[in-house]
Amino acid sequence: MSFLEVSGAEKSFGAALVLGGVDLAVAQGEFVSLLGPSGCGKTTLLRIVAGLLAVDRGTVALDGRNITGLPPHKRDVGVVFQNYALFPHLTVAENVAFGLKAHRRSAGETKDAVKRFLDLVHLSDFADRSVRALSGGQQQRVAVARALAVRPKLLLLDEPFSALDRKLRETMQIELRRLLRELGTTSVFVTHDQDEALTMSDRIAVMNRGAIEQLDTPEAIYRRPATPFALEFVGLSTRLAGTSLGTDDGIVLVETALGRLRAPGSFVKGAPVLLAVRPERIKIGAAENTANARLRDAVFQGSKVQLHFEVRDGDQLMVETSDLPQVPAPGSEMTLGWSSADTLLYPAP
Amino acid sequence: MKAWRDPVALLAVPASLYLLLLYALPLLWLLAKSFTGAEGLTLKPYIEFFSDPFNWRVVWNTLSVALWVTLVCLVVGYPAAFALARAGAALQIAMLVAIILPLSVGVVVKAFAWQIVLQRNGMVSQLLVATGVWDEPQRLLFTPPGLVLGAANIFLPFMILPIYSVVKLIDPRLLEAGATLGAAPVYRFVKIMLPLTLPGVVSGLAFVFSMAVSMYVIPSLLIGDRFQTLSTLTGRSFLFMRNEQLGSTTAVILLALAVSVVVSSSWLARRLGSRA
Repeated sequence: MSFLEVSGAEKSFGAALVLGGVDLAVAQGEFVSLLGPSGCGKTTLLRIVAGLLAVDRGTVALDGRNITGLPPHKRDVGVVFQNYALFPHLTVAENVAFGLKAHRRSAGETKDAVKRFLDLVHLSDFADRSVRALSGGQQQRVAVARALAVRPKLLLLDEPFSALDRKLRETMQIELRRLLRELGTTSVFVTHDQDEALTMSDRIAVMNRGAIEQLDTPEAIYRRPATPFALEFVGLSTRLAGTSLGTDDGIVLVETALGRLRAPGSFVKGAPVLLAVRPERIKIGAAENTANARLRDAVFQGSKVQLHFEVRDGDQLMVETSDLPQVPAPGSEMTLGWSSADTLLYPAP
Repeated sequence: MKAWRDPVALLAVPASLYLLLLYALPLLWLLAKSFTGAEGLTLKPYIEFFSDPFNWRVVWNTLSVALWVTLVCLVVGYPAAFALARAGAALQIAMLVAIILPLSVGVVVKAFAWQIVLQRNGMVSQLLVATGVWDEPQRLLFTPPGLVLGAANIFLPFMILPIYSVVKLIDPRLLEAGATLGAAPVYRFVKIMLPLTLPGVVSGLAFVFSMAVSMYVIPSLLIGDRFQTLSTLTGRSFLFMRNEQLGSTTAVILLALAVSVVVSSSWLARRLGSRA
């Protein structure tokens, strides 16, 4: 049995099914992200685990105990809210002390914990400030310290970085991940930002329309997305519609607008398929799979160049490369190649 | 000094002039009148007023009725303000209309309506008999509880609306945050909701108390001459006794009482608020 185990969680708002029987298992000390577009049910799932929302069907168990019917204040589940929800009438230290006092910890213990957690988030100098006087990044750190100070069994984070600017966000991501690892806190993190999920998570649950489409390590999700949705939502990809010409020895030959291409898999002859390749796996020059295309656009991105090619409507051919001597001019004909092992194949969506 | 150069400050001129001419000057005249005797500046009217036990009774009547009215409004209005703030859009509009519309009905009309409600066979009496609180119907009209009941009803919107406007601005996630930190419902209310609604409560208290302490029409119609308050006494002094000195003295005492209670309660609330 996993540390956190959600089984068959179902939730509707009126006629709209928001979660359709979701299972999620998180091991102790693990950091799992719920990644998906808005409306996919990730925040609903988080609120159900926190006890802020009741499930229609299904159970939530934490540390071997069924907590499905428990109110939030009896669950030992901390939450960092998207807008932080700091208590505006209290100082930084009083915010952090709130949970400890609610748990009736002794004054000495409370004082020590407040000091320790303010130290951990580098806010010791701000202890007596009003939270209203803090910047967004500082407020976020107070919210984290406040949630962690009571040492919850599980920490839930609801898009805690969405209000921060990009540079600060990256620093905070690394800092928060380090802090949670040091404390060994089991965490579930809700985000719609794939970079955030890839950077921080031990595992990612890709969610779409109230269901988890894939639950795996960031690397597996990027390299082997289980569904076209996971492919599209995480990272960029070249995508070509095609038709299977039959499978031979685990390799499917696919007829596409760019010619016949090979991909591992198994599809009967005539089946419509979607063929995909990550843009950095495609090289200039012929290889196992080879295609010729006319360059439409070249985007210089510093460390790499992104090349977009002219293709049939609905298809997309994109290459990311860092070893071009100079950015090629649009309109030039280029030969592109990649290995069949790097080719992904799905039933046509 | 900078504020004076800001042309926006000029926008306050009409209101300031209006208040100065029609409110501050007459008030000053009243104040001056109460301190002026035949031999010039004097405290004689105040000494005379406070040496008469009847007047102490009047002050007590005024304060106790005002405090009871304020208390009833607070107890009824505080939860009502929450219900209003958290209601759905359509229900909220309906409730707001129900609260605000009666304000457009004259106080005299409402007071007469309460006369009917408070009769021996009125609604309140029947209700108390039906629920077994009273053994037989009693007249509430012309009694202090009847006055408190009627006045509290009339002033209730002035308690609900300021609290509502504060509650509406409180992020409901603050309570959720409190819950996930392990705080039980009562603890969340006391430590989060109460301090955050305090500013609304203080303005509600100030509104209702200052109106209840100085009400004139409502006690005239709901309790009559046997029960004098500072404000009915002021009215009598000017209108019937033609004693401007007594009238201005009671008016000044009333003003001093009202202002000191309102100022000290808001000061106290602010202190409590910063400690909560």
